[in-house]
Amino acid sequence: MGLMGTRILVTEDNEDNRHILRDLLTSAGYEVIEAVTGEEGVRLAETQRPDLILMDVQLPGFDGYEATRRIKGNLALRQIPVIAVTSYALSGDDVKAREAGCDAYVAKPFSPRDLLVKIRECLAQGTPGAPS
Amino acid sequence: MRKWLIQLVARVPATAHAKLLAAFLAMVALLITLGVVGLHELSTANKRAEALVNLQQKIVSYRELQHDALVQNDSVSTALMVPSGELEYEFLLRQVNQFRSDFDRLRSLAKDAARFLGPVPQENQALSQILSNDDQLIKIVAYVVDVVRRGHVAEGRDRLMRAAPLADQLELSTGKLVVLADAEMAASIKQTREAHVHSRWMVIGFAAGSIGLALVLGYVISWSLIGPVKQMDAQLKRIASGDFSDRVEVQNRDELGALAANLNHMNEELGQLYQQLEGASRHKSAFLANMSHELRTPLNAILGYTELILDKIYGEVPDKIREVLERVQNSGRHLLGLINDVLDLSKIEAGQLTLALSDYSMADVAQTVVAAVESLAAEKKLTLTMTVPPDLPRGRGDERRITQVLLNLVGNAIKFTEAGEVAIRATVSDGQFLVAVSDTGPGISEQDQQRIFEEFQQGDGSSTRPKGGTGLGLTIAKRIVELHRGRVWVQSILGHGSTFWFALPVIVER
Repeated sequence: MGLMGTRILVTEDNEDNRHILRDLLTSAGYEVIEAVTGEEGVRLAETQRPDLILMDVQLPGFDGYEATRRIKGNLALRQIPVIAVTSYALSGDDVKAREAGCDAYVAKPFSPRDLLVKIRECLAQGTPGAPS
Repeated sequence: MRKWLIQLVARVPATAHAKLLAAFLAMVALLITLGVVGLHELSTANKRAEALVNLQQKIVSYRELQHDALVQNDSVSTALMVPSGELEYEFLLRQVNQFRSDFDRLRSLAKDAARFLGPVPQENQALSQILSNDDQLIKIVAYVVDVVRRGHVAEGRDRLMRAAPLADQLELSTGKLVVLADAEMAASIKQTREAHVHSRWMVIGFAAGSIGLALVLGYVISWSLIGPVKQMDAQLKRIASGDFSDRVEVQNRDELGALAANLNHMNEELGQLYQQLEGASRHKSAFLANMSHELRTPLNAILGYTELILDKIYGEVPDKIREVLERVQNSGRHLLGLINDVLDLSKIEAGQLTLALSDYSMADVAQTVVAAVESLAAEKKLTLTMTVPPDLPRGRGDERRITQVLLNLVGNAIKFTEAGEVAIRATVSDGQFLVAVSDTGPGISEQDQQRIFEEFQQGDGSSTRPKGGTGLGLTIAKRIVELHRGRVWVQSILGHGSTFWFALPVIVER
């Protein structure tokens, strides 16, 4: 998959974090779509069909896990890889992320370089048709 | 019935001391009564024996009297029917008087016997009969002797003949006395036997009653004391295990009742305190969790922007600014480490850190740690070695937390060692993983070896600043190992390096 035209949906309620991710991803050559709430994230996933979704788990309204469940429950969207972004030290977040259907998991604070590596891995693997 | 009695004793408004004393005194009183009854029965038996002896004597005397009466009548008829001399008459009169004196002696004997055995009306009647007969007979004999002395033998004989029924009567009466006394003797023996049986049953009854009462009192009083003690023991166990819902219901109105009331009071107070503490602890944990999240969010932004600038996302960075930004980054990371450690520790202290148990490989854990710190060791030109036998069994525990512990120990070793090596060794023995992290650093003095596991303490009492770190790492590592039911310790000689050990059960169950 070529880098140009690869769209990443960033679902994140904190403006600074959105800004950082936008700058990081844009500078890495990705196209960035932004959502502030879980609802908006699901809606944008449906209408914009991004190539990958970065999902903050702590969101106003329904949280990132619920948003991921809805996206993965939609047959048309379920092949889009979702990377959960969680706060540190909340024990069991990795398990919860996997259970919600997330393909990968990044704990804050993440190093921008490590995040880019993870994004490239997910995009390269593609998504298994039906995550168990 | 048994329970009812125990409760009855428990409800008595007296001290346990008073109850025990009362029971003891009751027993003593019963024993004294038993002794008195025994002595009384014994003395009654003695009196009866004495009375029997008296009776025996009376019978002998009655027999003598009967014999005397016969002899007297015989002598009277012989002496007066056959012509005799003055000497015989004197003898006769003496004999009649002798009979009278025997009779008087006998009457006093009969009175003695009556004192023990009660009056016998028939006997008294017979005695008065004898007395009046004898009076008449004495008079008649005296008269006849006088008449015969004066030579009127025929008249005397005639008078004597007419007194014959009187003599017969006297004989009959004495005979009757003997028969009566014999009957009395037989009745008395029978009575004595009955009295013996009666007193035997009395003594047995008192003894059995005393033993029974002693057993019942002992049982009831001891259970009225032991029961509440057991209840309170169970309640204390419940309190110790953190269950404050129950109360002890003790009916005692003695020291134990007061103790139970105090226990209930303490239980309530503790329960309330416990609830308050739980609430406070929950609030504290929630506060810390929220707080650390709120603190982290802007900090993440600071670190994120800094890294983006350093990565030249926003263009070239002059060296001077880069240097400053690197300082910003280091301080930010330190602050983040502090926040994370404080959160970890507060969760452990609040008992909220639950282990995520899964199967893990100690070799993988060591490998992960080595990979994480390799670059740090290389920067300081330290040799980093890892010795893990290939046949180490798989363990069960919280892999992420165990990794955190080992990372902390190895990180510290690298941080404090200026030259030489840091070695990780893992073995298994007795169902425990034994992991050692040795360094060739400055070592830790004996007095510091205990202190370093406490919050915000590093060796030699210096602040955490010179060597970085939060001062919470070892404390957290210790708590995590303890959560796995293991332990951490250190061996070190100042100037000769240190070895930190931790031992963990291979299989950790919940």
